[in-house]
Amino acid sequence: MSGVTQFRRKARIAISDIRLQGALEGATQKFRTGRTAALADLPDAGALRDHFKAIRQATIAQLADHLETFERNAQASGAQVHWAADGDEACRIITGIAQQHGVKLTTKSKSMTSEEIGLNDALADAGVEPVETDLGEWIVQLAGEPPSHIVGPALHKTRQQVAELLSKEAGKELDADDIPLLTAEARRMLRQKFLDAGLGISGANIGVAESGSIVLVTNEGNGRLVTSAPPVHIALMGIEKIAPTWDDAAVWLSLLARSATGQPLSVYTSVVTGPAKSDDIDGPQEVHIVLLDNGRSKLLNTPFEEVLQCIRCGACLNVCPVYRAAGGHSYGSHYSGPIGAVISPLLFGLEKHAALPQASTLCGACLDECPSRIDLPRMLLALRAEEVESGLIPLPERLLERAAARVMGNHRLLSAAGTGLRLGQIPLAQGETLNIPRRFNPAQDRRLPALPKKSFRQMWRDGDLDE
Amino acid sequence: MNSRHKILNQLRSNGRAAETPGPWRSRRQFDDLAARFADALTAAKGECRRAGSLDDALDQLHQLLRELSAGKIVVNAEPPFIELDLPSRWPDFQWHTVGQSDGDLRAFCAAATVGLSGADAALAETGSVIVSSGPGRSRLATLLPEIHLALVPTSSLTADIFTWTAGRQGVLPANQIIVSGPSKTGDIEQTMAIGVHGPKRFIVILYDEG
Ligand code: SF4
Repeated sequence: MSGVTQFRRKARIAISDIRLQGALEGATQKFRTGRTAALADLPDAGALRDHFKAIRQATIAQLADHLETFERNAQASGAQVHWAADGDEACRIITGIAQQHGVKLTTKSKSMTSEEIGLNDALADAGVEPVETDLGEWIVQLAGEPPSHIVGPALHKTRQQVAELLSKEAGKELDADDIPLLTAEARRMLRQKFLDAGLGISGANIGVAESGSIVLVTNEGNGRLVTSAPPVHIALMGIEKIAPTWDDAAVWLSLLARSATGQPLSVYTSVVTGPAKSDDIDGPQEVHIVLLDNGRSKLLNTPFEEVLQCIRCGACLNVCPVYRAAGGHSYGSHYSGPIGAVISPLLFGLEKHAALPQASTLCGACLDECPSRIDLPRMLLALRAEEVESGLIPLPERLLERAAARVMGNHRLLSAAGTGLRLGQIPLAQGETLNIPRRFNPAQDRRLPALPKKSFRQMWRDGDLDE
Repeated sequence: MNSRHKILNQLRSNGRAAETPGPWRSRRQFDDLAARFADALTAAKGECRRAGSLDDALDQLHQLLRELSAGKIVVNAEPPFIELDLPSRWPDFQWHTVGQSDGDLRAFCAAATVGLSGADAALAETGSVIVSSGPGRSRLATLLPEIHLALVPTSSLTADIFTWTAGRQGVLPANQIIVSGPSKTGDIEQTMAIGVHGPKRFIVILYDEG
């Protein structure tokens, strides 16, 4: 099955799933209103976003220099820096460190980058048990599913489904209506894992070049535990997540949580600058930072360079009419929503993700929301153009579009088509709207206006428009 | 060619000159930093108590510890606790002073009701407290106990994250945390639940010095 049909099939199933629709609307709306209120509370959110965009743009243009500064300062703090050209290399480096320390159990704090490279499978293959510790990420891990949202990985799950998964893990029946109890049970079960783990693995929201620090934000505190309890900590970071200075990191932090969840700051911002110092009382003896390229560096100086400015806040997902209807899993990539529709083809191949650039109405809502003002609609269009050029559009659609171009380019054909459609719509028309067959409108929530009796051209000719 | 060279070369050959904008300066002006701090922390589900002096803060602390029927208390050996010797003052509780008491710190923290800390700084805008690792300052002491209680002098308040980074000096500790409330999650049906992995309560006693 081609990628295009696969997306449509999954999206169709998602759209007819009333429960999922409710979950998506509830969650994304909560994020949306939170974000709007949090930005409104800032004295000058618009200017701050412009400033951030300028920082991100300049940083990416000079990424090599900033990465070298970052590496130098991280090493000076005692951290070990590794470079991985692709996901396989990053997995090899990380499993290698785990094996070298004889690690059997590793706790992980949520990292989209580690999802991107399939790190959990690589660890399991190497005989290391990875345990996700972000509650949402743990839930999807227990369910054997990928995350369905960058920020809320389990937002597609009901509390009944969560209770079922956690009950199995706890070996006792847990009441689905008691969310505090579910949370407390998760705390109890994961607490032991934190203390037993020989290795903590995290992502990195920001790498600050000026000090060689890794910055990690979490609300649950799992990021703190992963970087504090085990004797070894590995942080996996995409090479684009660099802030040159602490002033720049402050701008980043002040936009990240506000855009993601509507909080002024996440509950915990952890700044890790090397392993425990000799007179520190606790903390890891070793800190490793793995810098991951995996297709990022080749985007520099292309029409898609802008995606490297993304900070994975998820705001574009929450406003996207396609994400809100189709849900994260339809995208067939760990990155969903508008940003996923752009980076999945870029990082993992346009052929594999041919449907995604189509999965957009180009309404522009994502651009309005993005803290780095990334022009995703422009790039979606550019990817569509590439798809047409490389023949990735399904044949019926190509024929239809060719026909449409033909008709629209010729006024006689156009008015003939108009007459044809006016006649053709009669069986479907109901007053001013069209009855869309259920097959194309599974949730019965789509409306299409009927073609008016007269076309614009006809009205023009008849002088109806003269005033 | 190793990956480091490959990545850097690729980035360098496609990079270009660019001028990074200067630092963003805080546009916040709070008439009353302490009031804003208390409001923001409360909004984030933390708790803030005000005290007129360190003695007042200690009285409130003692009262609070009794109310909580705190059994085990771990305290960082940092200001304002260093000179106070709380374990001899209040011997009714079981104490572990970081870096001074015998016994396994980690096990003690995991079983403790309360972790006591000071603060490097506090951000009024977001109701945040900044805590560092270092000699006498355990990371787990503010993380594993049920409750994190911080004694913070009003003199450590600054407007926001921008005024804090602008005034920051010296080498960073290995671990520094900006705490803005108790541990929480919204991962089950977007319903907020408090106390997932970190402390279930985050209480700040904000006191005036002198
Ligand atoms: S593209 Fe923008 S809005 Fe979307 S996740 Fe990235 S930073 Fe956030």
